[in-house]
Amino acid sequence: MATRKSYETHQDPHQEHTRIGEAGKFLASYTSWLLGCGATCVRVEKNVTRMSEAFGYEASLTVFPKHISLTVTDSETGATRTYIADTHTCGINFNLNSDLSALSWAVADNSLSLEETRERFDKIIGERYTDGAQILLLASLANAAFCRLFGGDVIAMLIVFCSTCAGYFFKQRLLAHKFDIRLVFLICAFISASLAAGAEIFHWGTTPEIALATSVLYLIPGVPFINAASDLIDKHYLCALSRFIDASVLTACLSAGLYLAIVLMKINPIW
Amino acid sequence: MVDIILNQAPGELPFALHIVEDAVFAAIASIGFASISHTPQRTYILCALAAALGHALRFILMNGDFFHLDIVLASSIAAFVIGVIAVVCSPTVKVPAEACLFPALLPMIPGMYAYRTVEALVCFLRTSTEELASHYLYLLGYNGFTCAAILLGMVIGANIPIFMLKHISFQATR
Repeated sequence: MATRKSYETHQDPHQEHTRIGEAGKFLASYTSWLLGCGATCVRVEKNVTRMSEAFGYEASLTVFPKHISLTVTDSETGATRTYIADTHTCGINFNLNSDLSALSWAVADNSLSLEETRERFDKIIGERYTDGAQILLLASLANAAFCRLFGGDVIAMLIVFCSTCAGYFFKQRLLAHKFDIRLVFLICAFISASLAAGAEIFHWGTTPEIALATSVLYLIPGVPFINAASDLIDKHYLCALSRFIDASVLTACLSAGLYLAIVLMKINPIW
Repeated sequence: MVDIILNQAPGELPFALHIVEDAVFAAIASIGFASISHTPQRTYILCALAAALGHALRFILMNGDFFHLDIVLASSIAAFVIGVIAVVCSPTVKVPAEACLFPALLPMIPGMYAYRTVEALVCFLRTSTEELASHYLYLLGYNGFTCAAILLGMVIGANIPIFMLKHISFQATR
């Protein structure tokens, strides 16, 4: 437990209660954003503990599937505050994860005041991350490279590039219009797989099956699966299970889109 | 060399060239997947390097004369190596190790097994004869369980270095 910084010493119990309340509110908000952008439980715990200790408090955190519960305790006065916050849904964002983690170190190493920390935090979360044309192009290239890794020929790669481009374009638009992410996965998988099925229908190239198989892989929710494993290792079983179920539901949605495309395009796999 | 690689089916390439091809395409794929998850751009090179080394290593472990490991074990070992690279190198670009890990790991996702699982499900649901249904059920189970085992091996293998090297993993953004 770190000793409280001299500039933050308060004698008035009312002021003290206000201060612990402010710190708790900020830490709950920080936790909600960090979890929402795809940080693992072990990272969230370490960052929050680091910051609360720098502010002079003890923090204990419980992570629920859609909420977090944070208790902040002043070990000197015994004052305690508990905050419950919704996990912020901003999608996987490692830029945000990096900046928020760096902020926790800045607080611990440079003894930032709560006000200054909140200012920096507001600036970080206020930054807009556009999901624009550059990402669309890179995602399409990535999936085309993926196709080659699975043994696809150049024609299959081109088809996967185009089908990913179309599917990812719709993903960007539908998510911008706040569509349910499960529906978005289903629709985008269907669009990409239907376009890639053209290779099989019109006998383009020598590996149409690989084109169809890899056309939907850009939708695989890899981060939640990896985070679930991390939480499992760190014994955060509840969170691990919730992330795993989340990722499985999305995988089921993309499989349903692929299934629909195979059935509607009358693709007949032969074994 | 690009012409040689693109004009031949992967199976026809010489072993050394196949390793290079694997590494190059894994690197391209990892940069794309890094961009999808809004990874800081300074991390792209590290992601590409980790993906290239990991994927090439898996290829060698599965196809090299000395090893001939199965895909589950080879993927787990390669994922562990990617995890080590991500943890050790992440402080140089000041990002959490997970930010390098995911894009580098994704090119090893067992996409064809996943696809064959869905395909087997489609065939199973559309088949009326018992013999064929049993065959498709077998394919569904085989591909599904193989896919799940590869994924499990990969995600656990990749996460172990983060916990093994905690003093580096959680100070990368300092």
